[in-house]
Amino acid sequence: MSLFEIIGGFFLVLGSIFLFLGGLGIFRMPDVYNRLQAGTKATTLGAMSVIFGVGIIQLENDWTWIVKAMVILIFIAFSNPISSHALARAMYKGKTYPFIKSKDKDMDAYKEYIDNQKMEEE
Amino acid sequence: MKKVIVLLLLAVTGYYLVISFMDLGKYGPVVETGVKDFYLEKTVSELHVANTITSIIVNFRGFDTLGEVTVLFLAATALGGILYKRRHDVGERSVLFPSSSIVKSGSKLLFPAIILLGAYVFIHGHLSPGGGFQGGAIIATGFLLMLLAYDNFSVSHNVLSFIESFAGIFFVLFGLAGMMMGGTFLENFMPVGKLNDLFSGGIIPIIYILVGFKVAAELTGLIYTVLHEKEN
Repeated sequence: MSLFEIIGGFFLVLGSIFLFLGGLGIFRMPDVYNRLQAGTKATTLGAMSVIFGVGIIQLENDWTWIVKAMVILIFIAFSNPISSHALARAMYKGKTYPFIKSKDKDMDAYKEYIDNQKMEEE
Repeated sequence: MKKVIVLLLLAVTGYYLVISFMDLGKYGPVVETGVKDFYLEKTVSELHVANTITSIIVNFRGFDTLGEVTVLFLAATALGGILYKRRHDVGERSVLFPSSSIVKSGSKLLFPAIILLGAYVFIHGHLSPGGGFQGGAIIATGFLLMLLAYDNFSVSHNVLSFIESFAGIFFVLFGLAGMMMGGTFLENFMPVGKLNDLFSGGIIPIIYILVGFKVAAELTGLIYTVLHEKEN
């Protein structure tokens, strides 16, 4: 077992753990915003680690794999946060309010923040 | 009277359908010497193409692919014709809410990468999985992203229909050239090159690139018609 295989295997296991936690989060979280957080933040790191690990393992035979893996990493680093942002924004615009485990059901911290900003501008 | 005529026509059609189905014969055991060995052997030895599916789709059954492309074109045209009458009061905007600046600048960054990936998929159709249809669909998703992010992004219908007809005409011209050189429609008449090279497989990569352009233009036009119908 070479050094590249050990380092790459570490990244593979790390990525699998994060992907598993992301899937578990989608299953367990109470509302759409929490599920988005689990399903995009955790899986971004998971997918990136898996692809990077594959690139490291192949470094022994073929150095072009790590370059391709880097390109994919950059693509994921852009596309995954943007898409999750768009989903969350669409949910907010569609008036889906977060799950709140208190008596004040209409609490909306982001709306208060926007209103405060508008007041300050005026 | 009308009903009687319709019934008679249906009866005649049904009679001939039953007769022709009777002639088909029963489903027997699988024939051992199928056409698969011919395909598998000729793909590597004669055409020098790494991807057998591509060689079947574009070369052995290229005429069928021409039909598929025509069906896609007809479907896109028909959908455009239907939606043009129904939805011309929607206005110029393609999306209800303007997108946030993150989505706007992000899709501007990702758009060239998506187009490049689509082009890669259809150019390497004879070497790796994928091909003209898949690459064209990827390019159309890039245009869909831009149309969703920017409410004033517009695609020229004239350019799209020019690309579409150009690719279609060249597909047929390559087929006719094969007929003149070799004897059958879409016969391979160019040098086949080395196995696993980018420039290999004779006319297969050229035809797949044409199919890629055609599918991309068709699907983009389709998305544009559905999202962004102009008022007039």
